[in-house]
Amino acid sequence: MRSAILSVLACLLTVTLAGCATFEPPKPWERGNLARPEMQFDYDRLDAKTQQHIYTSKEAANGGYGVGGGGCGCN
Amino acid sequence: MAATDGKRKANRAGAEAGATAPTRRGDAAQAGALLAAALALPGVMPADALAQSAPDKGIFELQYLSYRDWQPGRNRMTVDAPAFYALIPINDTWVVEGGMVYDAMSGASPLYFNVLSGASIYDYRTAGDVKVTKYFGNYSVSVGGFVSSEQDFLSRGGSVQVQIYSEDRNRTYTLGFAGTNDYINATNGVAPNSRRNSLEFVVGVTQALTANSIIQSNLTYYTGHGYYADPYKPLDTRPTTRNTFAWLTRYNLHFPEPDATLKLGYRLLFDSFGSTSNMVEAAWVQALPWGWSVTPGLRYYTQSAADFYMNPPFPKGFKEGQDYSADTRLAAFGALTAGVIVGKTLQDGWSVAFRADMYRQDPDWRLGGTGSPGIQTFSARWFQLDLTKTF
Repeated sequence: MRSAILSVLACLLTVTLAGCATFEPPKPWERGNLARPEMQFDYDRLDAKTQQHIYTSKEAANGGYGVGGGGCGCN
Repeated sequence: MAATDGKRKANRAGAEAGATAPTRRGDAAQAGALLAAALALPGVMPADALAQSAPDKGIFELQYLSYRDWQPGRNRMTVDAPAFYALIPINDTWVVEGGMVYDAMSGASPLYFNVLSGASIYDYRTAGDVKVTKYFGNYSVSVGGFVSSEQDFLSRGGSVQVQIYSEDRNRTYTLGFAGTNDYINATNGVAPNSRRNSLEFVVGVTQALTANSIIQSNLTYYTGHGYYADPYKPLDTRPTTRNTFAWLTRYNLHFPEPDATLKLGYRLLFDSFGSTSNMVEAAWVQALPWGWSVTPGLRYYTQSAADFYMNPPFPKGFKEGQDYSADTRLAAFGALTAGVIVGKTLQDGWSVAFRADMYRQDPDWRLGGTGSPGIQTFSARWFQLDLTKTF
């Protein structure tokens, strides 16, 4: 478990550094497209919660999308 | 994921206004600096452009889910679930959101592997949550509570989340914590009045990479102690401690032409039960004329088996006093989902979306190893209708 966590952290760091080397963050007046609903990660929270609940009840994996989702007797 | 709303026109107008800057480089730089200075003044920044700040519009959403699953030759569970969600900005810095869902479940559930219970099961679940967020200058704090109740199960918990925004509003750091108490009291009398308690921690970063791309990466650690077995599955015995570690990364890329957005996601999850899983998903949100949108999506998931999952026949491998499970959800398999969302923006902030998904688990679809032998495929389909009002 510990070595797995360390390798994930190493991957994450690599991706982050690679990303920082290339991106050009937008200026305030360039953020119109980023504000579109489909460009946000959790715009439709009800839909996201429903989908995650379905998968949680049918697969071993559970979570990763944030905290506070609440438990259920389905898994 | 669901439909777009009336914000789109305003956002596009804002983006186009930005694009009308002077063409000569010196003039453009000067105009840009002036515009940035003007936008930095309190109250001048268009609220829509502050994707990581307090939402200025409320949302009210109604949803109806119709779910059905089956294995070869036998139907299993059917679920009908109406739900609602509301987000209400109280003022410029306070936001309240919450929702409720009612699941009505019926059908047959597996006792072990693909052997189903003879009698039909009827159960229902009622769950609700509420969250209050206060936005300060460069950070926000959310406090939430949630409860989920079934005939034989009660889950209650609370969460605290802090989001810290960078000066240029292009980066958000997320720190979160949740605690949950679950009470299990199976109707068959197995393990009466059992409990489990868990804590969950999340740390994440969201970064706007360019004017048309944004990435998010979250690390979540879950640790729990208590009753984790399934009391309705004979001989099911699981560890009393469970720890999981998940890394989720999501990336959205917008294409001004043809007015579409690619949404990608990847999750790696390690579970102390012994199961490791990988999930990748992709969706293409295509805007169409007259307020229509169509979003085809694919999801692939693969998992290894839990250490104490034993292959058929039942109860081969069972030893008194040791962990054991014949629950196929803990087996090694792969799963594929294909789905589509069709959305339509209506007048006065209303929008409607219809979603259809088809899902299948197959041991032969596992990647990175062989799937568990001797179990059947499992399939599900679900339809969902969403009606949303922004105000």
